[in-house]
Amino acid sequence: MPDVGFSVEVIRGVPVVATPQDVDINNAGGLRAALLQSAALGPGTLVVDMTRTQFCDTAGLHALVTAHKRARAEGGRVLLVLPGATVLRIFSITGLDGVIPNFPSLEAALAASAAGPG
Amino acid sequence: MTARLDPGPIEDQLRAIQLITDAALSRLDDRELLAELLERTRDALQADTAAVLLLDFASGQLIATAAAGLEEEVRQGVRIPVGRGFAGRIAAEHQPVILDHVDHTTVLNPILWAKGIQSMMGVPMVAGGRVIGVMHVGSLTPRRFTEHDVELLQLAADRAAAAVQSMTAQADRLAAAALQRSLVPTSLPVVAGAEMAARYIPGSGGVGGDWYDVFTLPTGELCVVVGDVAGSGLPAAVIMGRMRSALRAYALETRDPAEVLGKLDRKMQHFEADAMATVLYAVIDPGLDRMDICLAGHFPPVIAYPGQPAELASVPVGLIIGIADPAPRPVTSLPILPGALLCFYTDGLIERRGELIDDGLARLCRAVTVEPAEAACATVMQELVGTGSARDDIALLMLRRLPAHVGNGG
Repeated sequence: MPDVGFSVEVIRGVPVVATPQDVDINNAGGLRAALLQSAALGPGTLVVDMTRTQFCDTAGLHALVTAHKRARAEGGRVLLVLPGATVLRIFSITGLDGVIPNFPSLEAALAASAAGPG
Repeated sequence: MTARLDPGPIEDQLRAIQLITDAALSRLDDRELLAELLERTRDALQADTAAVLLLDFASGQLIATAAAGLEEEVRQGVRIPVGRGFAGRIAAEHQPVILDHVDHTTVLNPILWAKGIQSMMGVPMVAGGRVIGVMHVGSLTPRRFTEHDVELLQLAADRAAAAVQSMTAQADRLAAAALQRSLVPTSLPVVAGAEMAARYIPGSGGVGGDWYDVFTLPTGELCVVVGDVAGSGLPAAVIMGRMRSALRAYALETRDPAEVLGKLDRKMQHFEADAMATVLYAVIDPGLDRMDICLAGHFPPVIAYPGQPAELASVPVGLIIGIADPAPRPVTSLPILPGALLCFYTDGLIERRGELIDDGLARLCRAVTVEPAEAACATVMQELVGTGSARDDIALLMLRRLPAHVGNGG
């Protein structure tokens, strides 16, 4: 598939998916696949690092919500890294900021992951 | 490990298959093309039967779609679950399967062994990286299919897969566009004291899940809906259609916009567990004086009054539809004074890459000025879309409450 730009790496035992500058209908399938791949690494916390992301449309949100619902059903959770005002604003308008926990830095998300329930 | 065969006849056979698929593509429809291809495949492999089963993604079943020498399989609508039986195994494992012995232990479909097929060979049909079906051939006499036979069948299957994929995509686009057309109101209701205009523009990727709806209730109240289903193409359009119908039904039952969206949310989470959508729902009283509005993750309307800059309505936003456990949904009651222009829209109108949403909203507010609804739509489309093509689809609805002296006098 032509979807590129979603790297998955494990940092301190936590899968971290990094998203590119734009997350939209053209690459949401790639995000979906990366999230699924990360979830398959085992139940527990999954971090989505959106530090580089400047634009996220409904298709991108949908992929994140799907991962969040799946993680929750399996006793895990998805944590978002959202340092940029642009994407955070989209999350607040849709009410998703109150549903999927988000953090200003990867470090903060990893700390919360270590402290919180698996 | 296998003995080399003389490549001459095989190349001839490959050419025969390529020829028929390429030539047939331009003039045959889906089923005719597959049928023709299967005849040629059967001849080329000197087999007795050939069949194509296409994967129905919704049910996870392979459905017999075309056959040569095995037409009853298609007529009877044979369905094989992925992972089970001969064809199901090929689809699940993305691998060719050769059966030297056919009976009820190896083949799920009784038509195949009842017909007396002794040996079978099948390959996956792959398009866009995923299995979309299975093509198989059978022999009424015991036979060992070779690796070269598999290669030949795989070539035919690849040709068939490409043709099916392109025709399916085209059929989906047409169906989605037809569905979208049938669901977007062809004419807006005539309401004394108000005038309305609307636009629906498909995005560069085809139609998506945006919609608007305007209808009156038996009580004389006027209801406005604008929504955006996540996704694109036929799947999003189908979900959009279901949401539109469900919302209308709940609107007849219940006056409270929060309750209508709450019911819609429960319905979606139960019946369309993977769907997600933003929805704006507003109920305007019969005198057009007041609007009760509830937002499920959707942008607030823009309101303009003569001689004043347009503003984003101050409406708290509730959670998007399709996510468990929503908090109580807030409803905001807003006055609509005579002369007001209300602008309802979807995110495709205001979202730009690398830009704060608020910048897009500000641009929209600058573009909305009080003028007749049709002209207001044209102005906004000119200012926000201009000559560029919209990446995402756009729904836009303008509702103007006529100034008191222009109204119906009531």
